[in-house]
Amino acid sequence: MQLQDKYRIAVLSAYALALHGIETLVPTPIPWMRLGLANIVTLVALVLYGFRTAMTVTLIRVILASLFTGTFLGPSFVLSFGGGVTSTAAMGLTFLVFRDMFGPVGLSLVGAFFHNAAQLTLAYFLFIQRIEAMFVIGPVILLIGTLTGVANGAVSGLLIKNLLKKEGAKIQNDNEDAEPAQ
Amino acid sequence: MKAVIRNTTVADRLLFIFLIAASVAGIFISREAMPKGSDVIIEIGGKTAYTFALDTDRTFSVPGPLGVTIVEIKGRKVRVKEAHCHNRLCEKQGWVARGAIVCLPNRVVISVGGKADNTPKGIDAITG
Repeated sequence: MQLQDKYRIAVLSAYALALHGIETLVPTPIPWMRLGLANIVTLVALVLYGFRTAMTVTLIRVILASLFTGTFLGPSFVLSFGGGVTSTAAMGLTFLVFRDMFGPVGLSLVGAFFHNAAQLTLAYFLFIQRIEAMFVIGPVILLIGTLTGVANGAVSGLLIKNLLKKEGAKIQNDNEDAEPAQ
Repeated sequence: MKAVIRNTTVADRLLFIFLIAASVAGIFISREAMPKGSDVIIEIGGKTAYTFALDTDRTFSVPGPLGVTIVEIKGRKVRVKEAHCHNRLCEKQGWVARGAIVCLPNRVVISVGGKADNTPKGIDAITG
Protein backbone atom coordinates (compact mmCIF):
# COMPACT_ATOMS: atom_id res chain seq x y z
CA MET A 1 0.00 0.00 0.00
CA GLN A 2 1.41 3.34 -0.97
CA LEU A 3 1.70 6.30 1.33
CA GLN A 4 -0.84 8.21 -0.73
CA ASP A 5 -3.36 5.40 -0.33
CA LYS A 6 -2.87 5.42 3.43
CA TYR A 7 -3.36 9.17 3.53
CA ARG A 8 -6.49 8.90 1.42
CA ILE A 9 -7.94 6.12 3.60
CA ALA A 10 -7.22 8.15 6.72
CA VAL A 11 -9.00 11.22 5.36
CA LEU A 12 -11.97 9.25 4.10
CA SER A 13 -12.28 7.37 7.40
CA ALA A 14 -12.26 10.67 9.26
CA TYR A 15 -15.08 11.97 7.07
CA ALA A 16 -17.04 8.75 7.52
CA LEU A 17 -16.58 8.82 11.29
CA ALA A 18 -17.70 12.44 11.46
CA LEU A 19 -20.85 11.68 9.45
CA HIS A 20 -21.47 8.57 11.53
CA GLY A 21 -21.22 10.71 14.66
CA ILE A 22 -23.41 13.49 13.32
CA GLU A 23 -26.20 11.18 12.28
CA THR A 24 -26.55 9.81 15.82
CA LEU A 25 -27.42 13.39 16.84
CA VAL A 26 -30.03 13.86 14.12
CA PRO A 27 -33.48 13.08 15.50
CA THR A 28 -35.43 10.52 13.47
CA PRO A 29 -39.10 9.61 13.74
CA ILE A 30 -38.22 6.02 14.67
CA PRO A 31 -35.52 5.54 17.31
CA TRP A 32 -33.45 2.88 15.56
CA MET A 33 -33.74 4.49 12.15
CA ARG A 34 -30.47 5.82 10.78
CA LEU A 35 -29.90 7.90 7.70
CA GLY A 36 -26.77 6.01 6.68
CA LEU A 37 -24.86 9.18 5.88
CA ALA A 38 -21.53 7.37 6.31
CA ASN A 39 -22.47 5.32 3.29
CA ILE A 40 -21.89 8.45 1.18
CA VAL A 41 -18.18 8.23 1.99
CA THR A 42 -18.10 4.48 1.32
CA LEU A 43 -19.74 5.05 -2.04
CA VAL A 44 -17.39 7.85 -3.05
CA ALA A 45 -14.42 5.72 -1.99
CA LEU A 46 -15.73 2.79 -4.01
CA VAL A 47 -16.35 4.73 -7.20
CA LEU A 48 -13.22 6.86 -7.11
CA TYR A 49 -10.64 4.64 -5.41
CA GLY A 50 -11.89 1.07 -5.68
CA PHE A 51 -13.28 -1.70 -3.55
CA ARG A 52 -10.33 -2.19 -1.19
CA THR A 53 -10.31 1.45 -0.11
CA ALA A 54 -14.08 1.38 0.43
CA MET A 55 -13.94 -1.78 2.55
CA THR A 56 -11.01 -0.50 4.62
CA VAL A 57 -12.78 2.78 5.26
CA THR A 58 -15.96 0.96 6.29
CA LEU A 59 -14.11 -1.36 8.68
CA ILE A 60 -12.22 1.53 10.26
CA ARG A 61 -15.40 3.53 10.61
CA VAL A 62 -17.48 0.76 12.19
CA ILE A 63 -14.78 -0.32 14.63
CA LEU A 64 -13.68 3.16 15.66
CA ALA A 65 -17.24 4.48 15.98
CA SER A 66 -18.13 1.59 18.29
CA LEU A 67 -14.99 2.20 20.35
CA PHE A 68 -15.90 5.87 20.71
CA THR A 69 -19.49 5.20 21.74
CA GLY A 70 -18.55 2.27 23.96
CA THR A 71 -20.52 -0.36 22.11
CA PHE A 72 -17.57 -2.36 20.78
CA LEU A 73 -18.49 -6.06 20.50
CA GLY A 74 -21.95 -5.26 21.85
CA PRO A 75 -25.22 -6.05 20.06
CA SER A 76 -25.38 -2.81 18.15
CA PHE A 77 -21.77 -3.31 17.06
CA VAL A 78 -22.64 -6.72 15.62
CA LEU A 79 -25.53 -5.19 13.67
CA SER A 80 -23.48 -2.23 12.51
CA PHE A 81 -20.52 -4.40 11.50
CA GLY A 82 -22.64 -6.96 9.66
CA GLY A 83 -24.63 -4.29 7.86
CA GLY A 84 -21.59 -2.23 6.89
CA VAL A 85 -19.50 -5.12 5.59
CA THR A 86 -22.40 -6.72 3.71
CA SER A 87 -23.51 -3.51 2.06
CA THR A 88 -19.96 -2.56 1.04
CA ALA A 89 -19.38 -6.04 -0.36
CA ALA A 90 -22.67 -5.91 -2.27
CA MET A 91 -21.95 -2.46 -3.68
CA GLY A 92 -18.42 -3.50 -4.63
CA LEU A 93 -19.67 -6.61 -6.39
CA THR A 94 -22.37 -4.67 -8.23
CA PHE A 95 -19.83 -2.07 -9.27
CA LEU A 96 -17.44 -4.74 -10.56
CA VAL A 97 -20.01 -6.85 -12.38
CA PHE A 98 -22.29 -4.17 -13.87
CA ARG A 99 -19.68 -1.50 -14.28
CA ASP A 100 -21.60 1.27 -16.06
CA MET A 101 -25.10 -0.03 -15.64
CA PHE A 102 -25.66 1.47 -12.20
CA GLY A 103 -24.83 5.02 -11.20
CA PRO A 104 -24.24 6.14 -7.63
CA VAL A 105 -27.98 6.12 -6.90
CA GLY A 106 -28.33 2.50 -7.98
CA LEU A 107 -25.25 1.46 -6.01
CA SER A 108 -26.57 3.27 -2.96
CA LEU A 109 -29.89 1.44 -3.30
CA VAL A 110 -28.09 -1.90 -3.51
CA GLY A 111 -26.05 -0.93 -0.46
CA ALA A 112 -29.09 0.18 1.51
CA PHE A 113 -30.97 -2.99 0.65
CA PHE A 114 -28.15 -5.32 1.68
CA HIS A 115 -27.43 -3.29 4.79
CA ASN A 116 -31.01 -3.72 5.95
CA ALA A 117 -31.21 -7.34 4.84
CA ALA A 118 -28.05 -8.20 6.77
CA GLN A 119 -29.21 -6.34 9.87
CA LEU A 120 -32.63 -7.97 9.80
CA THR A 121 -31.07 -11.42 9.40
CA LEU A 122 -28.62 -10.80 12.23
CA ALA A 123 -31.34 -9.35 14.44
CA TYR A 124 -33.52 -12.36 13.75
CA PHE A 125 -30.87 -14.94 14.58
CA LEU A 126 -29.32 -13.11 17.51
CA PHE A 127 -32.10 -11.23 19.24
CA ILE A 128 -35.69 -11.47 18.17
CA GLN A 129 -36.42 -14.90 16.66
CA ARG A 130 -40.02 -14.09 15.84
CA ILE A 131 -40.56 -14.51 12.16
CA GLU A 132 -43.91 -12.65 12.17
CA ALA A 133 -42.21 -9.60 13.62
CA MET A 134 -39.64 -9.77 10.82
CA PHE A 135 -42.33 -9.99 8.17
CA VAL A 136 -44.10 -6.99 9.58
CA ILE A 137 -41.04 -4.83 10.09
CA GLY A 138 -39.04 -5.96 7.04
CA PRO A 139 -41.01 -4.15 4.29
CA VAL A 140 -41.19 -0.96 6.36
CA ILE A 141 -37.42 -0.96 6.84
CA LEU A 142 -36.96 -1.75 3.16
CA LEU A 143 -39.13 1.24 2.20
CA ILE A 144 -37.32 3.65 4.52
CA GLY A 145 -33.98 2.27 3.37
CA THR A 146 -34.89 2.82 -0.26
CA LEU A 147 -35.79 6.45 0.40
CA THR A 148 -32.66 7.24 2.42
CA GLY A 149 -30.64 5.22 -0.09
CA VAL A 150 -31.79 7.44 -2.95
CA ALA A 151 -30.94 10.56 -0.96
CA ASN A 152 -27.47 9.27 -0.09
CA GLY A 153 -26.89 8.11 -3.63
CA ALA A 154 -27.85 11.51 -5.03
CA VAL A 155 -25.46 13.28 -2.67
CA SER A 156 -22.69 10.81 -3.51
CA GLY A 157 -23.34 11.30 -7.21
CA LEU A 158 -22.96 15.07 -6.96
CA LEU A 159 -19.86 14.66 -4.78
CA ILE A 160 -18.23 12.22 -7.20
CA LYS A 161 -19.01 14.48 -10.15
CA ASN A 162 -17.50 17.52 -8.46
CA LEU A 163 -14.45 15.63 -7.24
CA LEU A 164 -13.84 14.27 -10.72
CA LYS A 165 -14.24 17.77 -12.19
CA LYS A 166 -11.73 19.11 -9.69
CA GLU A 167 -9.33 16.29 -10.39
CA GLY A 168 -9.78 16.86 -14.12
CA ALA A 169 -9.03 20.56 -13.68
CA LYS A 170 -5.96 19.69 -11.67
CA ILE A 171 -4.71 17.33 -14.36
CA GLN A 172 -5.35 20.01 -16.97
CA ASN A 173 -3.43 22.53 -14.88
CA ASP A 174 -0.59 20.09 -14.57
CA ASN A 175 -0.53 19.71 -18.35
CA GLU A 176 -0.58 23.49 -18.83
CA ASP A 177 2.29 23.80 -16.42
CA ALA A 178 4.13 21.12 -18.31
CA GLU A 179 3.56 22.66 -21.72
CA PRO A 180 5.88 25.64 -21.56
CA ALA A 181 8.71 23.40 -20.53
CA GLN A 182 8.46 21.40 -23.74
CA MET B 1 -32.78 18.17 -8.42
CA LYS B 2 -32.58 18.08 -12.19
CA ALA B 3 -28.89 17.34 -12.02
CA VAL B 4 -29.62 14.45 -9.71
CA ILE B 5 -32.21 12.96 -12.03
CA ARG B 6 -29.92 13.38 -15.02
CA ASN B 7 -27.22 11.63 -13.04
CA THR B 8 -29.17 8.37 -12.79
CA THR B 9 -29.07 5.54 -15.29
CA VAL B 10 -32.03 3.52 -16.51
CA ALA B 11 -31.01 0.65 -14.24
CA ASP B 12 -30.97 3.03 -11.26
CA ARG B 13 -34.52 4.10 -11.93
CA LEU B 14 -35.75 0.56 -12.52
CA LEU B 15 -34.12 -0.59 -9.29
CA PHE B 16 -35.71 2.28 -7.40
CA ILE B 17 -39.17 1.56 -8.76
CA PHE B 18 -38.74 -2.16 -8.09
CA LEU B 19 -37.65 -1.61 -4.47
CA ILE B 20 -40.45 0.83 -3.74
CA ALA B 21 -43.04 -1.48 -5.29
CA ALA B 22 -41.64 -4.52 -3.46
CA SER B 23 -41.64 -2.80 -0.09
CA VAL B 24 -45.11 -1.32 -0.47
CA ALA B 25 -46.44 -4.69 -1.62
CA GLY B 26 -44.61 -6.29 1.31
CA ILE B 27 -46.27 -3.96 3.77
CA PHE B 28 -49.70 -4.90 2.46
CA ILE B 29 -48.92 -8.62 2.26
CA SER B 30 -47.55 -8.71 5.78
CA ARG B 31 -50.62 -6.88 7.05
CA GLU B 32 -52.83 -9.52 5.43
CA ALA B 33 -50.72 -12.35 6.79
CA MET B 34 -50.93 -11.05 10.35
CA PRO B 35 -52.47 -13.58 12.71
CA LYS B 36 -56.08 -12.65 13.01
CA GLY B 37 -57.85 -12.20 16.28
CA SER B 38 -59.84 -15.13 17.53
CA ASP B 39 -62.16 -13.41 19.99
CA VAL B 40 -64.78 -10.71 19.78
CA ILE B 41 -64.79 -8.62 22.92
CA ILE B 42 -67.67 -6.28 23.55
CA GLU B 43 -67.29 -3.51 26.06
CA ILE B 44 -70.15 -1.40 27.34
CA GLY B 45 -69.20 1.79 29.09
CA GLY B 46 -65.58 0.69 29.35
CA LYS B 47 -66.28 -2.68 30.97
CA THR B 48 -65.97 -5.98 29.16
CA ALA B 49 -69.48 -7.30 28.85
CA TYR B 50 -69.24 -10.25 26.47
CA THR B 51 -66.59 -12.35 24.83
CA PHE B 52 -67.51 -14.46 21.81
CA ALA B 53 -65.45 -16.74 19.61
CA LEU B 54 -64.96 -15.40 16.10
CA ASP B 55 -65.34 -18.87 14.62
CA THR B 56 -69.01 -19.35 15.34
CA ASP B 57 -71.54 -17.32 13.39
CA ARG B 58 -74.15 -15.62 15.51
CA THR B 59 -76.28 -12.52 15.86
CA PHE B 60 -76.95 -10.91 19.18
CA SER B 61 -78.07 -7.62 20.65
CA VAL B 62 -76.17 -5.41 23.02
CA PRO B 63 -78.08 -2.99 25.23
CA GLY B 64 -77.02 0.64 25.35
CA PRO B 65 -78.34 4.06 26.33
CA LEU B 66 -79.88 4.60 22.88
CA GLY B 67 -81.41 1.17 22.54
CA VAL B 68 -80.08 -2.19 21.46
CA THR B 69 -77.23 -2.59 18.99
CA ILE B 70 -77.43 -5.71 16.89
CA VAL B 71 -74.05 -7.27 16.25
CA GLU B 72 -73.48 -10.01 13.73
CA ILE B 73 -70.54 -12.43 13.55
CA LYS B 74 -70.21 -14.30 10.28
CA GLY B 75 -67.29 -15.89 8.47
CA ARG B 76 -64.69 -14.70 10.99
CA LYS B 77 -65.87 -11.11 10.62
CA VAL B 78 -67.96 -8.80 12.76
CA ARG B 79 -70.30 -5.98 11.89
CA VAL B 80 -72.90 -3.86 13.51
CA LYS B 81 -76.08 -4.84 11.74
CA GLU B 82 -78.34 -2.31 13.34
CA ALA B 83 -77.82 0.57 15.70
CA HIS B 84 -80.06 3.29 16.98
CA CYS B 85 -77.67 6.18 17.16
CA HIS B 86 -77.82 9.32 15.01
CA ASN B 87 -75.20 8.97 12.32
CA ARG B 88 -74.73 5.17 12.54
CA LEU B 89 -71.04 5.28 11.82
CA CYS B 90 -70.67 1.83 13.33
CA GLU B 91 -73.06 0.42 10.77
CA LYS B 92 -71.24 2.13 7.93
CA GLN B 93 -67.94 0.62 9.02
CA GLY B 94 -69.17 -2.72 7.76
CA TRP B 95 -67.41 -6.04 8.23
CA VAL B 96 -64.30 -6.01 10.37
CA ALA B 97 -61.85 -8.89 10.81
CA ARG B 98 -59.40 -7.11 13.09
CA GLY B 99 -59.30 -3.86 14.93
CA ALA B 100 -62.41 -2.42 16.50
CA ILE B 101 -65.81 -0.88 15.88
CA VAL B 102 -66.66 1.92 18.23
CA CYS B 103 -70.16 3.21 18.77
CA LEU B 104 -69.65 6.25 20.89
CA PRO B 105 -73.27 7.34 21.47
CA ASN B 106 -74.12 3.86 22.69
CA ARG B 107 -70.84 3.55 24.57
CA VAL B 108 -70.21 0.19 22.93
CA VAL B 109 -66.78 -0.94 21.78
CA ILE B 110 -66.50 -4.11 19.74
CA SER B 111 -62.92 -5.22 19.36
CA VAL B 112 -61.44 -8.27 17.71
CA GLY B 113 -58.56 -9.49 19.81
CA GLY B 114 -56.36 -12.54 19.86
CA LYS B 115 -56.48 -15.10 22.61
CA ALA B 116 -52.75 -15.64 22.38
CA ASP B 117 -50.68 -13.32 24.49
CA ASN B 118 -49.49 -10.43 22.43
CA THR B 119 -46.59 -9.59 24.69
CA PRO B 120 -43.35 -9.97 22.76
CA LYS B 121 -40.70 -11.95 24.52
CA GLY B 122 -37.02 -11.14 24.67
CA ILE B 123 -35.38 -7.82 24.21
CA ASP B 124 -37.53 -4.71 24.00
CA ALA B 125 -34.97 -2.30 22.64
CA ILE B 126 -31.29 -1.95 22.14
CA THR B 127 -29.67 1.40 22.51
CA GLY B 128 -26.35 2.22 21.00
